[in-house]
Amino acid sequence: MISGLVQILLFQGAGELVSNFLLPLIPGPVIGLVLLLAYLAARTRVPEDVERVGSALVQHLGLLFVPAAVGVVLFLPQLRSHGLAVALALVVSVVLTIAVPAVVLRLLARQR
Amino acid sequence: MSAIHEIWVYLSGSPLLALILTLGAYQLGVLAYERSGRNPLANPVLIAVSLIAGTIGAIGMPYADYFEGAQFVHFLLGTATVALAVPIYKGLGALRGRALPLSIALVAGGAVSVASAVGVAALLGADRTILGPLWAKSVTAPIAMGVAERIGFSPTLTAVFAVSTGILGAMLARFVLDAVGSKAWWQRGFALGVASHGIGTSRAFSVSEEAGTYAGLAMGLHGIAGAVLIPLAFRAAL
Repeated sequence: MISGLVQILLFQGAGELVSNFLLPLIPGPVIGLVLLLAYLAARTRVPEDVERVGSALVQHLGLLFVPAAVGVVLFLPQLRSHGLAVALALVVSVVLTIAVPAVVLRLLARQR
Repeated sequence: MSAIHEIWVYLSGSPLLALILTLGAYQLGVLAYERSGRNPLANPVLIAVSLIAGTIGAIGMPYADYFEGAQFVHFLLGTATVALAVPIYKGLGALRGRALPLSIALVAGGAVSVASAVGVAALLGADRTILGPLWAKSVTAPIAMGVAERIGFSPTLTAVFAVSTGILGAMLARFVLDAVGSKAWWQRGFALGVASHGIGTSRAFSVSEEAGTYAGLAMGLHGIAGAVLIPLAFRAAL
């Protein structure tokens, strides 16, 4: 369990380093994700302890968003004055973003 | 009275209070979600955020103080982003033979999400501080925050939009997918992952393993593509 966490943290660290010095446009965790993905592909399997820690983290992803999302309290005045614009933008966008890939996949899958 | 006051001062000075509040509120959210028969409207993150926002407002705790303690949970978001490689890797096998349709669906979904969010908000007269974060909100929150910083907007507001998008997507997905006649679990999962990233993915996993795998794959690929393409598109649009 700990060794899985250590491995994931190492990839996170490597991602931060690459992001800082080589690819400032891409956030460190994304580079860490790609590096870990390349490592898993090279090993052609997921080590058991990485799998266990990885699944646990991903399963409780929702919890990890909570502290940042509570930041909504800082923006209540702005959100209130633009409430309708924000709410409509988010709802319209999410509905279309679910619908478009679903329709694209349904049409493309049917063709084959 | 003074003893209670002392305990209070001690607790509010340590990260413990914010941590208990965060984990406790989330636990209550999960309980409510389970009790409701996993009803998408009883979203655990939404419940947790409302409970915490209400509580810190009631006890007069500034957000900065709350975050000081809750940052330990927040830090793991970066770690969890890296760990997304695990479901993506497992999903890659499922991608075989479907790579082309999935890539087309991903690019179409990503473009529509930015264009519709920014377009609708701009039409309704929102200003730059609101429009900027909307560019980044469709990718998973930790990536969205990084993208927002790079294009010069508030990461916090971006996180709020990203999480709201995730919650809305998880709540509305069933109705939208039924309305457009999407039936196969892999297609439903992928669409949900593109649109509502982490929260949608955990919702998808709670409904079907196959949908969850594809949702995780979609969230990860959208995050990677978005981290590269959104800043470029943003610069091109200015």
